[in-house]
Amino acid sequence: MAHRTALSLLFATLLVFGFVLRDGHAQGSEARQGVQLFMGYCAGCHGADGRGGDKAPSLFSAASPLNPSDAELFRIVRDGTQRGMPAFAQIGDANIRAVVQLLRTIERGSVSKSATAQAAVTGNADLGRALYFGKAQCSQCHVMEGKGGFIASSLTDYGRNRAVDEILKAITNPDNPLVPSSQVVTVTTRTGQELTGVLRNEDNFNLEVQSEDGRYHFLVRTDLKRVQYTQHSLMPRDFATRLSPKELNDIVSFLIVSSRNPRPENVGSR
Amino acid sequence: MHSASSALRALTAVCLLLGLWEGIAFGQAEKGREQSAATDATTSAEANGVINVQQEDLIKKPVADNWLSYNGDYSGARYSSLTQITPGNVGRMSAQWVFHPREVGPLEVTPVVVAGIMFVTSANDAYALDAKTGKVLWHHVRAVTPGLIDDPGQHHNRGVAILGTRLYMETDNAHLLCLDARSGHLLWDVAYATGNKNYGATSAPLIVKDKVVVGISGGDDGVRGFLAAFDTETGKEEWRFWTIPGPGEKGNESWPGDTYLHGGGSTWMPGTYDPDLNLLYWGTGNPAPDYDGSMRPGEDLYTSCLLALDPDTGTLKWYFQYSPHDLYDYDGVQTPVLVNASLKGRARQLIISANRNGFLYILDRTNGKFLFGKPFVENQNWAKGLDENGRPISAGLIPDEKGVRVCPANGGATNWYSPSYNPSTHMFYFRSFEACALVKAEEEPFVEGHTYYGSGIETADETGKGYINAFDVDTLDFSWRDLQIGANKGWGGVMSTATGLVAFGDDAQNFVVADGRTGKPLWHFQLGQLVHASPMSYAVDGRQYFAVAAGSDIFSFALP
Repeated sequence: MAHRTALSLLFATLLVFGFVLRDGHAQGSEARQGVQLFMGYCAGCHGADGRGGDKAPSLFSAASPLNPSDAELFRIVRDGTQRGMPAFAQIGDANIRAVVQLLRTIERGSVSKSATAQAAVTGNADLGRALYFGKAQCSQCHVMEGKGGFIASSLTDYGRNRAVDEILKAITNPDNPLVPSSQVVTVTTRTGQELTGVLRNEDNFNLEVQSEDGRYHFLVRTDLKRVQYTQHSLMPRDFATRLSPKELNDIVSFLIVSSRNPRPENVGSR
Repeated sequence: MHSASSALRALTAVCLLLGLWEGIAFGQAEKGREQSAATDATTSAEANGVINVQQEDLIKKPVADNWLSYNGDYSGARYSSLTQITPGNVGRMSAQWVFHPREVGPLEVTPVVVAGIMFVTSANDAYALDAKTGKVLWHHVRAVTPGLIDDPGQHHNRGVAILGTRLYMETDNAHLLCLDARSGHLLWDVAYATGNKNYGATSAPLIVKDKVVVGISGGDDGVRGFLAAFDTETGKEEWRFWTIPGPGEKGNESWPGDTYLHGGGSTWMPGTYDPDLNLLYWGTGNPAPDYDGSMRPGEDLYTSCLLALDPDTGTLKWYFQYSPHDLYDYDGVQTPVLVNASLKGRARQLIISANRNGFLYILDRTNGKFLFGKPFVENQNWAKGLDENGRPISAGLIPDEKGVRVCPANGGATNWYSPSYNPSTHMFYFRSFEACALVKAEEEPFVEGHTYYGSGIETADETGKGYINAFDVDTLDFSWRDLQIGANKGWGGVMSTATGLVAFGDDAQNFVVADGRTGKPLWHFQLGQLVHASPMSYAVDGRQYFAVAAGSDIFSFALP
């Protein structure tokens, strides 16, 4: 199980960081080594995609820890920080250099991705906004600039540093990868009651499920007869047919253009 | 292909059945327990797991299952009506869970609980937790602000306010955030203190009707204090009361030239509110520079004061200055607790507050009139006493370059850690500290990006003696004082409950529950870290819990 999780995490990371490997300048094997090191030592806290996890911030945000020089970054990885990042001196200088190198490569990739995204916005963001809050019903679940629903993720900053095709894919082919805290589950109690909602958290003892009305349900596993994991979020999976390519492109443009609005701080949400 | 819309339809259908489902589940849970948490169950939310706090919930007293604001309710009494945990059974209480947030540091938060969901902050991060298990429901991430100084530079945060489905919090750099309390998603963000980068915030906001009221920190760093109210819906500023009067305003005579811009008077703790009198009570901090009074002659209004404001307009109704022309960093932000009690045979609407300057005050909260005062520390030399209006009679200790020995020390005879009032026993509980300090003063210019103390402190004879005190409002005397033994100076507030318990963090990293009549400890738990926060109590599914932040963690306790 742990092995499979590690493999799928690595796979997800390779997808996210795939451009690093595709990019001829990244010198395949070194980058692969960096990715493996990242997964082994960094992803547990900074997230599998480096965009931040429960225990540590995003490495690719406005207030990015990558602002320091290579030497300083090396020192941070080697010695840790007062704010709680542990030291990784034990993995050796060569491996630390490889991680720093990977972060730099990704950073350059993000910048170029960002530039690509800016250049590639071909849709009409205003029409995209109308679709977002109207026909496409995105705002029923996703908050954007303070308006919209609560059951799905906030999209206020979503378009930042994301390329058009990446966003398009997330809309037309959701659940790939499936964010664990957005998975829909159906639970059945020992007395036959059923409940469907979003699995916000779980462990071997409890499940925390939020139904679409906003209510949290605190469930004890031993009270349940069955937990059905749908492997899906609430995101509809038919946007490719529900909307035209132009409409989709307009929504993507809206998400990217909106995320360019200057924001005062590094803000995110799980 | 299995479409998501069918999943949505199924979800909607099931939601319709949910009320029934919940009713059955929780009915069973309640039946399974011998004793429910509150005999007069006043659960304000209609169902478990639903965040929807209404005005009538905020006004409701006393606190029961939910703990809806920093002090629990508007009175500031930090008193819980829950009765499951008693002097007889508290000995069996045990830890239920520990939550370790991402941004660590000495947490100063008081958790807020709504319908089984606990909201806590750690620096600029906010979390919703399952109050029964401590597990994360959502986490709003916001990096700490680099470049801040003094208190805001330590990123302390005392928690959240909730109204409807929305959560409000302050950030270290004095932004007011509005989050959707169901998801943790940011709805709006207002930077409310600009023009001086020494501004910051460490407090919890207070909801008053349709406004959210926030204060600022930085009173030791030459900011101009204010209190501001924002529309809870839109974030639009509704009013702002400057605690340092500007040119042409009453009190400006203490602030020659542009010194009013750096006069301190910060508003760094949540206030209290009387809905019947429609008065908002808020304490103000020390003047700046702290120890050098030469450039701020006179009273230094409205520093080290208690303010009574009209919450609709921000208009000042009355004020009471605890420490006029404060030279020792005494502040006036200690919680002004609203108490209805008989004083000298007459039923009165009172405010009771133990001040950092070493005196306990009882005021008439309708008009601010001084009714009673009493010193509560053995070491007090800065005032010869209080006159008939409650004004201190100065002992003439003026800090200079050589320094003068002043008691209490700058850390205060008490401080921001919470007091508590038990309305059934008429006991007022609070933590005190015995210490003196050598206070030095020197003229220094205000420089943005630097502190503005006007010199500093040398600890003269830090005795390190902390006490938990019980002041009896019937006899106007102390019922007991319990010496706290331990290696640390305690920073833990006090709370009380309807079964006569008092709970607090002690000076040896214990969380303690004691008998409120005698001060005798009945139970303790070694936390492994010092409490720098004030405790609270809540109930879920008929089970009562105590919760407290200690060091870098939140702890929750209940009976087996």
